[in-house]
Amino acid sequence: MERRDFFKFMGATGALLSGTTAQAASHNPDFDPNEGVGVLTDFTECIGCRECEWACKDAHNMETPPLESYKDKSVFAEYRRPDEKGYTVVNRFAGKGCGEIDLDVKVQCMHCNDPACVSACIVGALEKQDFGPVTYDAWKCIGCRYCMVACPFEIPAYEYDNALDPLVQKCDMCITRLELGQVPACVEICPRNAMTFGKRGDLIKLAHQKITENPDKYIDHVYGEHELGGTAWMFISCEPFEELKFPKLQEASVVRLPESIQHGIFKYFIPPAMFYGFLGLIMHLTKPKSDESQESETEVHHD
Amino acid sequence: MKKLIPVFIILLACWSCEKERTYSLPQDTVRTASDTSAHVLAMESGSTPCNTCHTCDTPTVQNPCLIACPRDKSSHITSGKHAPDEGPEIVIIDQLKKLYEPVIFQHRLHSSMSAMGVGCSACHHYSPEGEIPPCRECHSEEAISTNLRQPSLKGAYHRQCLNCHREWSHDTDCDVCHLPLDRLAPPTPQPDKTDIIGVDHPTIHIPEKQIFKTPDENNTIVTFHHQEHVDLYRYRCVDCHRDENCSQCHEGVGMIKSFGDKLEMHHSPCSDCHNTTADKNCNFCHMQEESKGFTHDLTGWPLSRFHKALTCASCHPQNRPLQKLNKTCTACHTNWFVGNFDHSVTGLTLSESHEYFDCYECHLDEQYDQPPQCETCHDYDVIYPEDLPGEKE
Repeated sequence: MERRDFFKFMGATGALLSGTTAQAASHNPDFDPNEGVGVLTDFTECIGCRECEWACKDAHNMETPPLESYKDKSVFAEYRRPDEKGYTVVNRFAGKGCGEIDLDVKVQCMHCNDPACVSACIVGALEKQDFGPVTYDAWKCIGCRYCMVACPFEIPAYEYDNALDPLVQKCDMCITRLELGQVPACVEICPRNAMTFGKRGDLIKLAHQKITENPDKYIDHVYGEHELGGTAWMFISCEPFEELKFPKLQEASVVRLPESIQHGIFKYFIPPAMFYGFLGLIMHLTKPKSDESQESETEVHHD
Repeated sequence: MKKLIPVFIILLACWSCEKERTYSLPQDTVRTASDTSAHVLAMESGSTPCNTCHTCDTPTVQNPCLIACPRDKSSHITSGKHAPDEGPEIVIIDQLKKLYEPVIFQHRLHSSMSAMGVGCSACHHYSPEGEIPPCRECHSEEAISTNLRQPSLKGAYHRQCLNCHREWSHDTDCDVCHLPLDRLAPPTPQPDKTDIIGVDHPTIHIPEKQIFKTPDENNTIVTFHHQEHVDLYRYRCVDCHRDENCSQCHEGVGMIKSFGDKLEMHHSPCSDCHNTTADKNCNFCHMQEESKGFTHDLTGWPLSRFHKALTCASCHPQNRPLQKLNKTCTACHTNWFVGNFDHSVTGLTLSESHEYFDCYECHLDEQYDQPPQCETCHDYDVIYPEDLPGEKE
């Protein structure tokens, strides 16, 4: 019902509102993402205990079987993706580990510096916070699912099972915990500190430090440092990321250019104004003179 | 125009709703080491004395002289200084005793295993001289944002234990170490022959020599004289067995890996000392038949009975690879002169008339391994070895 209410507002305010929300969707471009928070996941430290999956659901008040049941390693048989019922999953890549072991890979929302989902969202339901996380506001969401198409990491999931009030679901970096000064639930529960929470700038330094000190162990690539303009959540690994089903992405942000064009043009409602102005001009020029007198008569009649 | 007013009111309402939902981060959630907020806190509370963090009396921004803890300037104890059995038998880790039975860590078992690896410093990576601080002295219960490198206590323990255990047993379940409180656990661990945790690691057999068959067409045999490298060349295990852990030898619990797969690995320890870059040097190791091993005769200088008793290092003091020495006796024996050298040890006791000559008077040019030249003093009728300057024993 909330969405329907929102539609009413939309209808009432018309195109004018779309202009303002488009502006609200983009975060402050002047903010240095390295000053925001992020997480660095070291895949070589992950042991696939999947406690993070439990902690995530627990922190978001989602339905979850007890922690004990996460010992079950049979789930690794097939490759899983984060979905509306779990914002993070650990996959096991058998035989891909450094040396003798399997490599366990935790995936969740990357919290991009220039998020494509935020750019695609026409109502500003997804928002990039200046301090890092990409958050979702269910109240604004109209369920268009453009974010799902836009996300290069295929993260946002949709509650297709919920016919009445479906929501888009994804990791929010435990923003409610962050506000209380706590670290994300998955980071906190990880028994081996495979994830490090901190300032993005510090994490990049840490990642490179680890790689330089153990050049035999790690591949020289911090995934998320440059990908699509950088992400707040980053990975280091002992296997190339392409082999761990991560997309190989360009360094430049894909949303910067279209956003700057779109937001530049639509600023101050210019294109609609110009369009209607142009139509008005055509009307004015093509109007026969007899009509003009008629119209003035009607106006008189009104008065 | 009047119709537009409610539209604007609604617009304003929406705008304010949107603004309502803002998030913010508490200020001290993340701190970089350079942030002064931690410092200000410590100073304001007055409870932290300066020397908790600083080593000098007047720390400056340029030289904060922070105590090096943990890794950056850590000093390591080496396994050479401590024998594995010097440490405690078991260590009880009971920080979580409210949740689980204490973890009983078989310290001696692990320290004896570490002798094959990097030694004590594999775990005790920060041990200043004279003390072995417990993990919790540096690793706090929660990860600290000013030092992202340092894992929390929980992280440190689990990184340490599971590094080997997940490779070795592929078992990362909590109850491998943490017994639930409700399960009745014996107060002290009972040796269980089926469980490697609880029994000492069997003594590792040091092979005398290993013979490898290589795919080389002509010279198929490579003989590695293992015992020789340990006894004769005084290599420590860790000089070759670098960063080894259980899984290097064990496929799993009780399963020993076949050695054949690791042949490639052995090229590097050899070639670190034996220069194999030039083609001709391949034959140094790769031979048609088993090599007989090292004797000093191979160097062209067979050892006398006195030299045989010595260790290599007493004549070749410099580090490996050992260098060729000057064969002249006085190159090493600098303190020998007439009066303190007992010539009878050579098997020839000098007669009284010869006792007081300088060594070089008979052994010309200090060539002590050459027969003496009698004719320098005597007429040509006196010839060594028919005529001796003393009595042979």
